[in-house]
Amino acid sequence: MTRWRSAAIGIWLAALAVSIALIAHTSLSTDMSAFLPRSPSAAQQVLVDQVRNGAVSRLILIAVEGAPADKLAALSKALAGQLRQEAEFPSVNNGEETAFTAERQAIWRNRYLLSPGVTPERFTEQGLRQALESDLQLLGSGMGTLVKQTLANDPTGEILGLIDRLTGAAQPHARDGVWFSRDERRAILVAQTRVAGFDIDGQQRALTLIEAAFAAAQRDVPGTEAARLLMTGPAVFAVRTRATMERDATRFSILATVMVAGLLLFAYRSPRLLVLGLLPVLSGALVGVAAVALGFGFVHGITLGFGVTLIGEAVDYAIYLFTQTAPGTSPDDTLRRIWPTLRLGVLTSIAGFSAMLFSSFTGFAQLGLFSIAGLIAAVSVTRWVLPALLPRGFAAVDPGIFAPPLLLLSRHARWLRVVIAALTLAAAVLLLLHRGGFWQEDISSLSPIPAADQRLDRELRGEVGAPDVRYLLVLAAPSEQQALQASERASRLLDGLVAQQALAGFDAPDRYLPSEQTQAARRAALPDAETLRQSLERALTGLPFRPDLFAPFLADVAAAKAAPLLTRETLPSSFALKLASLLLERSGTWTAVLPLRGVADVGRVADAVIKLNEPGTTFVDLKTESDRLLQTYQQEAVTLALVGGLVVLLLLSASLRSPRRVFAVAAPLVAAVAVTAALLTAGDSKLSIFHLVGLLLIVAVGSNYSLFFERQRHEDELRARSVASLALANLCTVIGFGLLSFSGIPVLHDIGMTVAIGALLCLAFSAVLSGGRPSKP
Amino acid sequence: MLVEPALAQNGGNWGIAQLMQRLHQVKSASAQFTERKTLHVLTEPLVSSGTLLYLAPDQVQKITVLPKRERFAIDGDKLTIDGETESRNRTLSLSEHPEIGGLVEGIRATLAGDLPALERFYSVHLDGTADDWRLLLQPTAPKLQQFLKSIRIAGSGNKIHTVETEEADGDRSEMSIVEDAR
Repeated sequence: MTRWRSAAIGIWLAALAVSIALIAHTSLSTDMSAFLPRSPSAAQQVLVDQVRNGAVSRLILIAVEGAPADKLAALSKALAGQLRQEAEFPSVNNGEETAFTAERQAIWRNRYLLSPGVTPERFTEQGLRQALESDLQLLGSGMGTLVKQTLANDPTGEILGLIDRLTGAAQPHARDGVWFSRDERRAILVAQTRVAGFDIDGQQRALTLIEAAFAAAQRDVPGTEAARLLMTGPAVFAVRTRATMERDATRFSILATVMVAGLLLFAYRSPRLLVLGLLPVLSGALVGVAAVALGFGFVHGITLGFGVTLIGEAVDYAIYLFTQTAPGTSPDDTLRRIWPTLRLGVLTSIAGFSAMLFSSFTGFAQLGLFSIAGLIAAVSVTRWVLPALLPRGFAAVDPGIFAPPLLLLSRHARWLRVVIAALTLAAAVLLLLHRGGFWQEDISSLSPIPAADQRLDRELRGEVGAPDVRYLLVLAAPSEQQALQASERASRLLDGLVAQQALAGFDAPDRYLPSEQTQAARRAALPDAETLRQSLERALTGLPFRPDLFAPFLADVAAAKAAPLLTRETLPSSFALKLASLLLERSGTWTAVLPLRGVADVGRVADAVIKLNEPGTTFVDLKTESDRLLQTYQQEAVTLALVGGLVVLLLLSASLRSPRRVFAVAAPLVAAVAVTAALLTAGDSKLSIFHLVGLLLIVAVGSNYSLFFERQRHEDELRARSVASLALANLCTVIGFGLLSFSGIPVLHDIGMTVAIGALLCLAFSAVLSGGRPSKP
Repeated sequence: MLVEPALAQNGGNWGIAQLMQRLHQVKSASAQFTERKTLHVLTEPLVSSGTLLYLAPDQVQKITVLPKRERFAIDGDKLTIDGETESRNRTLSLSEHPEIGGLVEGIRATLAGDLPALERFYSVHLDGTADDWRLLLQPTAPKLQQFLKSIRIAGSGNKIHTVETEEADGDRSEMSIVEDAR
């Protein structure tokens, strides 16, 4: 026996050592896309790439508020000036002219390669004559001042068209030369980071730089002491979410440990028992994390956040052991007595959690594996290690004050049954009648970003006209050049649709980098110096332009004819960043993304895209895609919850072998789930997928209570002890999950709240429905 | 409106504040214009004519009829140009184009009698009497100075007769204005 125990302790210590070694070599991930699904379609994969790495993910929207408008303008200029000196920000835009200078110069230099207006006809005598007549008219018009600046170099007007195409039509409101919100309460800046959106450490550095630059700008501009800095954008969200996640995980783990330890110390009145009682929890947590590390290669921060819940669940096993050992009996006797129930309890919990293994959310799959491994470790330590460590002549714990309230419930079971039946029925009716269905339909409810931050983001995006795209054209091709050519064909189609006002505008990779074929054709369209000089001379006949005015034009065309074609490598940096977000390469397939603006006639655009008959082209409606995704998640969550529930029921039926007993165990679970769901949807609240997962966990956790109630002995002493152990165990669970409901992260909050309510109800209902069998002699 | 004649007759007290106040009282106006532009890129001047419309505080429209129809409309920060063909239409933000924005603001703020707005861009000198005044606007911001040398506006009472602009490159525009009866 002793040798066997030594072996158990040896195995335990070895398992802990291996777990610690595994954990030490694993990275912690805080990428929230783990709680997005493994992407179902190619189009959605592009979207995830965009979110993680695209230019949009590198944008930080900055607002400065809380001072008079002229002070804010000065502050905006000072802040932008500071940031432009940092290598972390390739582009900082606040509406000042300087921000555009580099971009405009790049467009200017390459206008004959970039402009779709460059054709051989454009540079014939007739083409030039037409352009010059139009110039003359423009000079006399309100546009004169603009045209005059570029006339001598660019009489065919390539640059004006290009600026329009490339800088977009929507310009933010401006005052004192910088961007403002329309109400002039906030000055607005847009900074683009060098590092990608998913590099959270890099983004964190960028945010710190902005904060420091703001503080310095505040010192430079007097009277702005009260001004505030607001930042938003995907990177800001990622950094904040990680901070919140780390804070919540740490804070709630410590709080839960302290509260559970305090409760157990009060119950056991022995520090030694407390430490022993926490051993299964600690072992479970280590083994759980190690299992996830082994299975997934990384551990998600949220999974650790749920470590808290394991404290609540795994601590139960030691509680059952310590509390149910009456004075004069040995822990081994207790274990032999309660083992069948304990084993069945652990198995039902595992059955419940195992449904989560099949979730397409990596985060939930991790959580399932973590819980299963953790619970097996915790119950094994309780069964085979703890008895060896308990002191000789172990003084059992007094059931104390924990049993009476539940015993009271059991005594009044006869009429309380009716109350619970009525409650359950009422809950079912409420759920069925819930207005407009009880599902949350907005996918943003799954986002870890607080609603207030999402609102600020929408406001600032609206003000600066930053991309907030619903419709995309996605083109796949086997090479970069083919993707660019496809993009050019699609651009021609879309230009036609813009003219027909089916949409307001669009962006496309070929605008920043035309295909080599197109660039070469444009370069070839430029005539040689002598031909151009003669054509121009003839075209100028009879027009009042100063002689020799167009010498710069002749020189520019000659230079453009000799210049190399633009490539991805030689693009100016702001173009390269834009191109990187619109043209992506993934394992040999090139994808061009064309975001559409202001789509007025969806049907016509969709039809035209089909008629284009270009293989690899998809017209994507992000709203529909995200709605469809949400529906997929909901269906999956419902399926998983139902399967989990069914597996639990099958397990109970197989073990209990009596419909009557299965009913006694299952009834409290069903009632608790129904009432919890009704409470969660009270008023106009909606259920999220996370709530649904919480409901499944109620079954996984709560089944332990009803099993113990159903299996309890009816001798008074043992009964009080077993009921006390359940109450204590339940309190620990409610503490663990209840604390999570204070988290600002929806996934933690929703599941925490659901399980805390459900577990409490489950215990009370079990006391009535499972434990209420009259124990008359 | 009752104080107006008294102020106008009392030449001693007449100054920029009074001129601005009188201009400010005009809530809407329309006029015919003829503009003559002398540009260094051309060997002969360009002449155009049409209608001007003003609606307080910040809407100005210049509708050219000859030689080609064009509508040049300013509403707040937005400048819209509608040409004869749709491809000529464009919308600009005045703050994005200081070379146009400064010029437009000088004329619009004068029409509105908004001295603070004028002084944001220009140093303002007034000459003459209430019945024959000449306003000289010289840009103060270096950015605007790059494009614009001066704007001279002449008028009588609350009516504007001529607007002359001289650009930094020597190009000039003289616009004579005949206001419709109001």
